[in-house]
Amino acid sequence: MTVLVKPQAAEKRPPGVLDVIRDTYFAYERGILGVLAFVLFLLIWEGLGRGWWADLFHAESLRVKPIMLSAPSTIAAAAWHMYFVTGEMWRHLGLSGFEFLLGFLASCFIGIPAGLICGRYRDLAYAAEPLLNALNATPQVALIPLVVLWIGTGLGARVFIIALLMIVPLIINGFAAMRTVEPKYLTLAKSFGAGEWTVFRTIILPASTPFLLAGIRLSIGRGMIGIVVGEIYGAPVGIGVMINQAGQTFQTAKVFVGVLTIVICGLVLSEVVRRIERRVERWRPQIQEQSS
Amino acid sequence: MSLPAEGRSMEAKTARPRRMASAAMRRFVIGLGTIIVLLLLWEAVTDLGLIDPILISSPSRVIEAGIGPFSSGDIWPDIDVSAVEFAWGYLAAIVIGIPLGLGMGLYKRINYLVGPFIDMLNAVPRITFLPILILWFGIGIWSKVAVVLMGAVIPITIATYTGVRTNEARFVRVARSFGASPWKLLTSIILPGTVPYLFTGLKYGAGRALLGVVVGEIYASTSGVGHMISDAGNLFDTSTVFLGVVMFMAVGVTVTTLLNRIERHFDRWRPETQRQ
Repeated sequence: MTVLVKPQAAEKRPPGVLDVIRDTYFAYERGILGVLAFVLFLLIWEGLGRGWWADLFHAESLRVKPIMLSAPSTIAAAAWHMYFVTGEMWRHLGLSGFEFLLGFLASCFIGIPAGLICGRYRDLAYAAEPLLNALNATPQVALIPLVVLWIGTGLGARVFIIALLMIVPLIINGFAAMRTVEPKYLTLAKSFGAGEWTVFRTIILPASTPFLLAGIRLSIGRGMIGIVVGEIYGAPVGIGVMINQAGQTFQTAKVFVGVLTIVICGLVLSEVVRRIERRVERWRPQIQEQSS
Repeated sequence: MSLPAEGRSMEAKTARPRRMASAAMRRFVIGLGTIIVLLLLWEAVTDLGLIDPILISSPSRVIEAGIGPFSSGDIWPDIDVSAVEFAWGYLAAIVIGIPLGLGMGLYKRINYLVGPFIDMLNAVPRITFLPILILWFGIGIWSKVAVVLMGAVIPITIATYTGVRTNEARFVRVARSFGASPWKLLTSIILPGTVPYLFTGLKYGAGRALLGVVVGEIYASTSGVGHMISDAGNLFDTSTVFLGVVMFMAVGVTVTTLLNRIERHFDRWRPETQRQ
C-alpha cells in the first residue's frame, strides 16, 4: 500500500498560483458567479442611467433618460437622504407598519380560529369548503372599491384591506391543518373526557402550528400588496402614498426607494417566520413527517 | 371462528361504499345548500330593506347589472383589454420562463448566475414593483402586460427548474449510453419528466397573472374589467363591482380547469405515469 502511494505523492508538485486560483474558483463557484451577476446587473443599470454605454458604443438608443431608469447610485443616495437626512421615511414606515400590524393581528385573531373551527366539525367543513374555494379563486383586491364604500378611506379602511388580503391563507391553512391532526389523539382526549377547549388548546393548536406559520408566511406577501394598493385611497402618509406621489411626479429614485423598502421588509419578515418555523419543527420531529 | 369474521368483513365491504357514498352526498348537499342559503339571505336582506342595496347589492341586482352591458356590448372593450393583457403577459412568461428554467436545470452555471435573482423575486409579490412598471410603461396596456409577466414568469421558471432537477437520473444515463443526441434527450426524457411540475407552475402563474391584471387595472388604467370595477366603485355602483369580481372569479376557475385538462392530456402520453 505504502509503496503504491509514495510515487504518487512524490509526483505531486507544490500547487502554483494558477492552481490555487482555479481550485478556489471551483470551490466557491456558486457564490462568485452569483456576486458577479449581481455586480454586472448593477453596472449595466448604472451605465444605462448615466449614459456610459451610449458614449462607449456611440449608440444614442442606449441613452435612457435618468427620469425613467434612475441608477443604483442615485437610488442609494435618495435612500440615504430620505432615511437619515430628512428622516421622512420613518414616518411613512411607521404608519404603514402600524396598519400592517393591525391588519395582521385582526386577520390572525379572526382567520386562524375560523379556519380551525370550520375544519373541526364535519358538517361545518362541508359547508365551508365551497366558500373557501370561491374565496381563494376571487382576487380580493377587486373588493377594494367596496371597502371604500363601506368604511370610507380612513385608517380603518386601510387596515381592513390589509386584513382582507392576509386572512385568506390563514383560514385556508387553518382548515387544512385540522385535517392532519392525528385522529388517535382526538379519540384519546375524548375518551379521557377532555372538553372542547382543552382539545383545542392541547392537541389541535400545537399540531397545526406549522401549517399556521406557513399560512402567516404567505399572508405577509399579501399584506405587502395591501400596503401598496390600499394606500392609493386617501392615506396622509405611508409607504404606498409616498410611492404613489413620487410616481406621479416622476421622482423615479424615490419610487425605487419605496418599492425596495417594501421588498426588504417582506424578505425580512418572511425570513423571521421561516426561522420560527424551523425552531418549531426542531421541537417536534413527528410534525415534520406529517406535513411533508 | 373464520365464518363470523368473514361475514363481518363482507358486511364491512358492502357497508363502507354505501357510507362513503352517503358522506359524499352529504358533503355535496351541505356545500350546495350553504351557497344557496347564503345567496337567498343576501337577496332577502336587501329586498326587505335591512341593508341599503347600495352597500352590498344583491344577486338579482348583480345579474341585472350584467344583462345591460352584455346585451348592448358595452362591456366587450373592457373584456378585450383585460384579456389582451392577460394573454400577452402570460404567453411572454411561458416563452421566457420555460427556457430559463430548462437552462437553469441543465447548466449549473446558468443557475448560479440567475438563481439568486429568481429567489429574491420569488420571496416577494412582484406586484409591489407595479409603481415602477407604471413609470416605465405608462398606464396603458403594457404596464399590465409587464406586471402579469413578472408575476407569472417566476413560478413557471422555478417549476420548470425543479422538474428538470428531479428527473430520473437513470433514464438520462440509459439514453446517454445508447447514444441519444442532446436534442433527443431533451424531447423524449427531460421534457416529459418535467410536465407535472411545469403544470403546477403554470397554474400558479395563471393565478399570479390574473392578480396582476386586477391590481394593475385598479391601481392605474384607462380601460379593462379592473378599471370597470374601480370606476363603478367611485360611482357607488356596487352591482357592477360585484359583476366584475364574479367575472374574475369565473376566469380564474376556468383557466385552472383548462390547465388541468391539458395536463391530463399530456399525461396520457406517458406510459410511466399510467403504470403508477
